[in-house]
Amino acid sequence: MASATCPVYAHFFGFAGSSLAMILTSAGAAYGTTKAGVSIAMAGTFRPDLIMKSLIPVVMAGIVAVYGLVISVVISGNMAPSTPYSLFSGFVHLGAGLSVGMAGMAAGYAIGIVGDAGVKGFANSSKLFVGMVLMLIFAEVLGLYGLIVALILNTKATNEC
Amino acid sequence: MQYYKSLATNPAALLSYTSAVVTVIALYLLFTGYGEAFNVGYYLLAISPYMWASIGIGLAIGLSVVGAAWGIFAVGVSILGAGVRVPRITTKNLVSIIFCEAVAIYGIIVAIVFSAKLGNVSPLTFTASHYYTGYSLFWSGLTVGLCNIACGLTVGLTGSSTALADAHDAALFVKVLVIGIFGSVIGMFGLIVALLQTGKAAEFGA
Repeated sequence: MASATCPVYAHFFGFAGSSLAMILTSAGAAYGTTKAGVSIAMAGTFRPDLIMKSLIPVVMAGIVAVYGLVISVVISGNMAPSTPYSLFSGFVHLGAGLSVGMAGMAAGYAIGIVGDAGVKGFANSSKLFVGMVLMLIFAEVLGLYGLIVALILNTKATNEC
Repeated sequence: MQYYKSLATNPAALLSYTSAVVTVIALYLLFTGYGEAFNVGYYLLAISPYMWASIGIGLAIGLSVVGAAWGIFAVGVSILGAGVRVPRITTKNLVSIIFCEAVAIYGIIVAIVFSAKLGNVSPLTFTASHYYTGYSLFWSGLTVGLCNIACGLTVGLTGSSTALADAHDAALFVKVLVIGIFGSVIGMFGLIVALLQTGKAAEFGA
């Protein structure tokens, strides 16, 4: 049943991809949420009316985690114990997981730092809101690029044993 | 001794040192005609599925509890410190500690569900299905563990900010708590991925 192109250990790499997608994007989302969140709490003590608008960096960091969740679900949906699974698919899924994972980690990190400075600036001067949101969108789009590449890679996986 | 101390404290130095050692060993094997001996697939199959599965379960609960504990002490320190001046915050802000505890609950749910898949493989030959279960339990355990460390830290640090904002002005509590709620969703994603990954894995001893 196992052959050279579909060895028994091929699933190891597929699961690695699925797990790394979730783990690395979670790390990025966690950093973004924490860094921006602490600033929001601090700025909220002297401008409580702006807290709701300042939650945007936290929401965008959560979206980065959703990117990782999507790729994890897509990859693990392609694996089953009884269907054939080639080593090629395993490596492709590992690459997909790493692409969304590392991109999401970097995007979450950027969202955190931009959100941190943006919320502090926005609490001091309301005119900075549009600029902060634009910068956060650009940071978010970095994670989206990782998602796009991961989805493209995932369509390339074939299971010819 | 300075050199070894710097290796222990600097992760970048440790990573570059180990990757240099691995590269030298790999190239040595390659150039002396023993290239086939560097066989990653052999080690993935030589490690028994019992080991993969058990390490995954251990990491699931162990790392989840590390995340929960980290969050709890981060919140607790802030509540107790601010509570010296503002004692009214001590009861309401326990909700942040409960959010961190939920992270440990995710870990224990996953560990118990996974341990139901362990069993004795009676003639001791492992099939591809056993390896699938072993790998899926290992990676799922690692997923839920590391996602819960991230989640526990997030909920803990934002919870500590919630306590300090509440101490400043009681009207801020609910608004700042929303940030911690967004953070707790990360741990739930880890749980979902772990359960999806192991949903199709057959039990050992089936």
